[in-house]
Amino acid sequence: MPFIRDTWTSLLRLLRTFTRSPFYAFIYLVQPLIWLLLFTQIFKSLTALPNFPTSSYLQFFAPGLIVTLAVFNSNFTGFALLNDINFGVLEKVLITPVNRYSLILGTVLYVAVTGVLQIAVVLIISFALGATLVTGVGGILVTIVIVSLLGIGLTSLLGALALRAKRVEPLIFVSNLITLPLIFLSSALIPAYLTPDWVQTAMKFNPVNYAVLAVRPLFLTGYDWNAIGVGLIVLGAWAVAGIVIAEFAFRRFGD
Amino acid sequence: MKNIIETFNLTKVYKGKIRAVDNLSIAIKEGEIFGLLGPNGAGKTTTIRMLVTLTKPTSGRAVIDGLDLAKDARKVREIIGYSSQEAGVDENATGREYLGLFGSYYHLDAQTIKRRSDEVLELMELSDAADRLIGTYSGGMRKRLEIATALINQPKLLVFDEPTLGLDVQTRLRVWDYIRQLKKEDTTILMTTHYLEETDKLCDRLAIIDHGQIVALGTPDELKGEIRGDVVALTLPLQEPDQQAKTIEQAKQLLTPQSFVKDVRATSDGLNVYVDEGSSAVPPILHTLEGAGVTVEGITLTRPSLDDVFIKYTGRTLREEKGTARGALGGVKPRGGR
Repeated sequence: MPFIRDTWTSLLRLLRTFTRSPFYAFIYLVQPLIWLLLFTQIFKSLTALPNFPTSSYLQFFAPGLIVTLAVFNSNFTGFALLNDINFGVLEKVLITPVNRYSLILGTVLYVAVTGVLQIAVVLIISFALGATLVTGVGGILVTIVIVSLLGIGLTSLLGALALRAKRVEPLIFVSNLITLPLIFLSSALIPAYLTPDWVQTAMKFNPVNYAVLAVRPLFLTGYDWNAIGVGLIVLGAWAVAGIVIAEFAFRRFGD
Repeated sequence: MKNIIETFNLTKVYKGKIRAVDNLSIAIKEGEIFGLLGPNGAGKTTTIRMLVTLTKPTSGRAVIDGLDLAKDARKVREIIGYSSQEAGVDENATGREYLGLFGSYYHLDAQTIKRRSDEVLELMELSDAADRLIGTYSGGMRKRLEIATALINQPKLLVFDEPTLGLDVQTRLRVWDYIRQLKKEDTTILMTTHYLEETDKLCDRLAIIDHGQIVALGTPDELKGEIRGDVVALTLPLQEPDQQAKTIEQAKQLLTPQSFVKDVRATSDGLNVYVDEGSSAVPPILHTLEGAGVTVEGITLTRPSLDDVFIKYTGRTLREEKGTARGALGGVKPRGGR
């Protein structure tokens, strides 16, 4: 089946780029370590506040970090696509009979695979530092699905931007502009009830927050099916919207 | 002979007003080397981008090897190879892996990919570097690899956008050889180029395009034959651009009414005067100009070349165009000229 073969070829090529760049591997390993060590120190005393959901900030932060890193990861993939555009590779690929949806699906799978890798790294470091995951393997699977949907949507949107802009500056600008607000206007770092009302309102429009809300209970208390259900619906729609927009940008790329 | 490309009023309008390609109708025969020649921004690249399915025509249609471009884009892609202006390569892959990627996208089986990769690597003299990362390749090697990827599917129609732009002389000659060899194997080649020498030596037929329309079409000899007689090329001393333009214009006004002059065209540094018999025309030309106080710095007598054909139809010389193209390569990378 050409469709499956094209998708597989695209995925393998992206993974090869990943494994060939020692810089990527370094970032993937070291970045979670820095975040975990730094933030668990900075925000340690938060746990003394009344109603804080757990006595260990690490336990609170690990799921938040998994979601945070998915946001960064998506940015990386957007820039990788821009590289292909700039070096003229994408243009050459587009005149072959390769299935267009395969190219998108290959990228989507790449985001999922690297996401899984990053989740694994965070989990291993967190467990080593003493965190636990009360829902076990099932919780990991739910985390992978939720985080992948978030990453697919964001990567697709940044990819669509790269396809339209064809230059690095707009991508740097947008990526810088949105990354931190996406993370800080969510409960990734601190619980929502500690933030002002307007921030809590803003969180309702932030897909990152839906991912955090669905994933965090898996670490702390158990399956929150309500949050998981809402998360799947919101992030599923987010991912589909991203892919539709990316596909549109793809079709108009040659113009 | 059968036509492999036929276009009917092919038109591309950008942003609702820029007519990059304007009702272009052309037929290219199977097995020929066809050149598209034109100033920058004339619509050459846009034309071939439409033909290789990268961009959709605003109106009009094209038929490639009996397939309608709009309806059968996917089948068209299977028989086309395309080498772009930019040496588009992936630095994180080896040469062989990069060829394999395209072989796979063309849905060739593993054995064919292996055999064909070896062939095109050999042909482009990259066999020794095949398993090295492309990041370590020189500019010329990248371009050769880029051409190699366009050949991986043994295309029936090979489209070259500036095949030798930015290549060193030796590599350019190799590419010419290779293009000739492909022609022997019945591959049709459509190319754009800035190099007149390239068109003259390689192309069976060529079209000069300006403002998105064909202004001249024929074999190089036919086109050169349209300009009979000799060309007296005058160089005027270098001055401030405004002043120089004035002097050139003044010289043109002086020479045009002369009975022995057929045509006068300005060039970047002087004038080309078209006359029946060059040697007898030089003294009166000099006499006329010096009498009016216009100094002539250099004078050359030539037979008409494609350059003159080009000037006749577009009012510009290709030398100026070449300068621009080189400038683009040296500094900022050239984006597909629209």
